[in-house]
Amino acid sequence: MRIEKDMKLADVIHHDFNLVPVINRFGIHLGFGDGTIEQICKEHKVNVAFFLIIINVYHDPQYFPKKHLQSFPVGSLVAYLHNAHEYYLEQKIPEIKKLIVKLTEESGDKHKNNFKLAFNFFEEYEHELTAHIDREETSVYPYVVELEKVIESGTAPDKVLARMQSYSITDYEDEHENVEEKLYDLKNLIIKYLPSVKNDAISYNILLELFDLEKDLREHARIEDMILVPKVEAMEITIKKMN
Amino acid sequence: MAGKITIVLIDHSYLVRSGMENLLREFPEVSLTEVFDGSEKHLVEKTMSLKPDFIIINPKSIKDSLNSFVLSLGNDALLIGLVDEHTPPVIRSRFKHILTITDNKYDLLNNMHKLMGTNSKDKSGKHENHSLSERETTVLKHITQGMTNQEIAEKLFLSVHTVTTHRKNITKKLGIKTVSGLTVYALLNKIIDMGEVNQQ
Ligand SMILES: [Fe+2]
Ligand SMILES: [Fe+2]
Repeated sequence: MRIEKDMKLADVIHHDFNLVPVINRFGIHLGFGDGTIEQICKEHKVNVAFFLIIINVYHDPQYFPKKHLQSFPVGSLVAYLHNAHEYYLEQKIPEIKKLIVKLTEESGDKHKNNFKLAFNFFEEYEHELTAHIDREETSVYPYVVELEKVIESGTAPDKVLARMQSYSITDYEDEHENVEEKLYDLKNLIIKYLPSVKNDAISYNILLELFDLEKDLREHARIEDMILVPKVEAMEITIKKMN
Repeated sequence: MAGKITIVLIDHSYLVRSGMENLLREFPEVSLTEVFDGSEKHLVEKTMSLKPDFIIINPKSIKDSLNSFVLSLGNDALLIGLVDEHTPPVIRSRFKHILTITDNKYDLLNNMHKLMGTNSKDKSGKHENHSLSERETTVLKHITQGMTNQEIAEKLFLSVHTVTTHRKNITKKLGIKTVSGLTVYALLNKIIDMGEVNQQ
């Protein structure tokens, strides 16, 4: 199903409740009333075209927005990606760690060390993800925002041109695959190799969280690779032509 | 992407068929067969006899019998609907995946890539499920000690190529890709002990 602006947001959430954290990143929270997507976006001062692209990307893994749909300020894209980062690092990861600790506590003394291995493994993953996100927040995104400012002002300062020479957005692709691998491993460790405990409830919750985080990160990376990167490449070309 | 991929295309339009043929030239591993005439029963039989990995169907080409057609094809192959913007949602929802006829070449290729990626993944997951051989266990042990393929090859008097193959098989059998994931596995199964990990 393609989500359109005249659909009621409530109907869309009924259809796919996984979109709740995604609309949160636009500052839209449950209790949003009975409006259409267009109305609710207006109320919250959200760019409708951009909102539709993001929720469609999350809703349908095959979806890729057509070029003409992709006209929205880069600033809103960066703000969205930033909110997603916060969600991963401040909500998702701590939640999963809490669950692994709980699982460790409930396992018998004999197995405690094994679950600690899983915890350490996940912490390693946390470090990797944090490093990746830091790089984006401190280097990639500021660069992108700077480019947009340059285009708006119509003149490119030498500083920016020099930066474009030394750093191009194309360097930034590729890293995403590595970030995914550890999550995949952890799922298999839990499903196949960690010792069984009496009740699978906690493990089940961990798996739900892992699958959810994995999917969210996959779409997040897709947005970065397929929307952010091409947009920035186009801006780089525009700026080069300006001079 | 490993091995051959067989695609059956069901579409009555000569232009669309040639277009698809042209597009799929970009995928050397794909062999394409076109099936488009005859009764519904004939179409199903002919399609299934080809043992396709994907079936691309233009719903317009089989009109009213789409439901029964989809049912009789079963679940083995991935059904891809070849649709346009006027295709109603009830028809779209019959398909696991959608290709839009009016998309540009870039989007079409992108979608094809993704589709083939999903299917080849499914396949590799299905069959491999054996435990590690003695050789693989030794290689695993050395991987967790932080040795490179080159170092392992020298130590075990193997070619680097052989070590790489062992590594691939280990990952495939266990479903674990990273070195630290493999280390946890090895510890859990007492292939190595904590002391050996701390040494590196
Ligand atoms: Fe990111
Ligand atoms: Fe990223």
